[in-house]
Amino acid sequence: MPDVDFFQFFRYTLGTIATIYATILTLQSMWAWIVWLSGHDKYISLVRRYVIVHGLRLRFKSFWGDVIICMLLCVVFLLLWYAHGQMRHMFTAYHAAKASL
Amino acid sequence: MSRTPPNTEEPKLLPGEPAPRQPVSPATPPSTEIIPAFVPMRQLSELPKDELEQLAEEFGLSVGDYKSSQHLVAAIHDRRQMIGGLDRETLLEVIRWGRRPVLANLNKEQLAQEIVRIKSMRFEGLSQQGLVVLTKLRGVKVNATDDVPTLVNKLKKKEGLFTRMNRKRRAMLGSLVSNMLGESESAKTGNDYQFVPPADAVGASSTTATPSPKSAMPSIKEEIEDAGLFSGIAGRIKRSADDYLNQKLDEIESRIDRKLDEIDRRLAEWRDKEIANRIRILKITLWASVIVGAFSLIYAYVHELVYPSPAPPVPQKQADIRSK
Repeated sequence: MPDVDFFQFFRYTLGTIATIYATILTLQSMWAWIVWLSGHDKYISLVRRYVIVHGLRLRFKSFWGDVIICMLLCVVFLLLWYAHGQMRHMFTAYHAAKASL
Repeated sequence: MSRTPPNTEEPKLLPGEPAPRQPVSPATPPSTEIIPAFVPMRQLSELPKDELEQLAEEFGLSVGDYKSSQHLVAAIHDRRQMIGGLDRETLLEVIRWGRRPVLANLNKEQLAQEIVRIKSMRFEGLSQQGLVVLTKLRGVKVNATDDVPTLVNKLKKKEGLFTRMNRKRRAMLGSLVSNMLGESESAKTGNDYQFVPPADAVGASSTTATPSPKSAMPSIKEEIEDAGLFSGIAGRIKRSADDYLNQKLDEIESRIDRKLDEIDRRLAEWRDKEIANRIRILKITLWASVIVGAFSLIYAYVHELVYPSPAPPVPQKQADIRSK
C-alpha cells in the first residue's frame, strides 16, 4: 500500500495546475498582442511605433529600487527552497543513521 | 521690345532638343545655361496658336507685335536664350524687390515669369544689375554702359503715355483710399522678404517658416496703383481674410498640439503608475512566498524535533549483516 501524504499531494498538484494555467494564459495574451500589433493597417503601425517609443522612454531609475528588491526576494526564495531540501536530506540521513545503530 | 528676324526656314525647337544654333542678338549675352520650365514634349512651332500666345505672354512678350506664329516662335526662343544668360542671384534680387511669393529653388525661367508679372514702377531698392534684368524682361534694349537713371528712363519710356496716366490716376485713387482708411506710409512694415518655404520643409525648421503675410504686403495705395481700385481693394480684402484664416488655423493647430502633448504626458504617467503597481504586486507576492517559505522551514524543523518521523525500513539483508 503506497504511503501517500495527502497534504503533499494537494500542494504539488495545486502548484502544477496553477503554474500551467498561468503560463498558458500569459502566453495566450502575449500572442494576441503580438498578432494585433503586427497588423499592416496604418493605424496599427502607428500604435506599434507609439508602443515602441513608450517602451524606449521607460527609465530604469524610476523603478530600480523595487526591481532590485524583487530580485533579492527571488534569491531568498530559492535559498529557502534549497534549505528545505537540505533539511529533508539531513533528517533522512539522521534517521537512517539512528536506525542502523 | 527686342525682336529678332524670324527664321522661317528652320524649325524652332525647345531647349534640350537637338536644335541648330541660333544667332544671338547683340543685346542678349550668349547663353550659358538653359533650364526649361517644363519637359519639352513638342516643338514650339507645333504648339497650337493659343498655347503659343499664352507662353509668349508668360515670357513678357506682347503677342500683337508679331505677325505670324513663326515670328512668335522666334521671339520666344530668343527670350528663353536671353533668360538663360541672366544671373540667377540678380533674378532673385528682383523677386525680393517685387515681393513676389515664390520658392527660392525655382529655375531661371520660372523666376523670369514671376518677374514679368511685376508691374511696379517704383524702382527704389533695386540695384543696377536688377534694373538691367527688369529692363530686359520688359523688352527694352539695354546697353552695357547704361547707368541707373538711364535704365529708369528707358523703363518709363517703355511704359507709354496712357499707361503712365492710368497709373498716376490709380495712384491718386490709391492715396485717396489710403487716406480714407487712415493707413499712413509709416505703417507699412519694413520686414525682410522671405521666400516661400518648400512644402516638405514647412514645420521642419523654424528658420524656414512661412513669411509673415504683413512682411510681403504693400500698402493699399501701392496695391491700387499697381492693380486698380477694385482689384487692389479686393486683393487687400482677400489677403486680410487669408490672414484671419491663417491665424485661426495656427490657433487650432497649437491647441491640437497642446492636447496631444497633454494626452502623451498622461499616457506616460499612466504607464509609469501601472508598471509601479505591477512591480509592487510582484514584490508583495514574493514577500508572502518568502515569509511562508521561512515559516514552513522552521515548522518542518520543529516538527521533526518534536515528532520525529519513523526511520525508513532497513532492508533484510542489511539487518542480518548487522545482527551477525
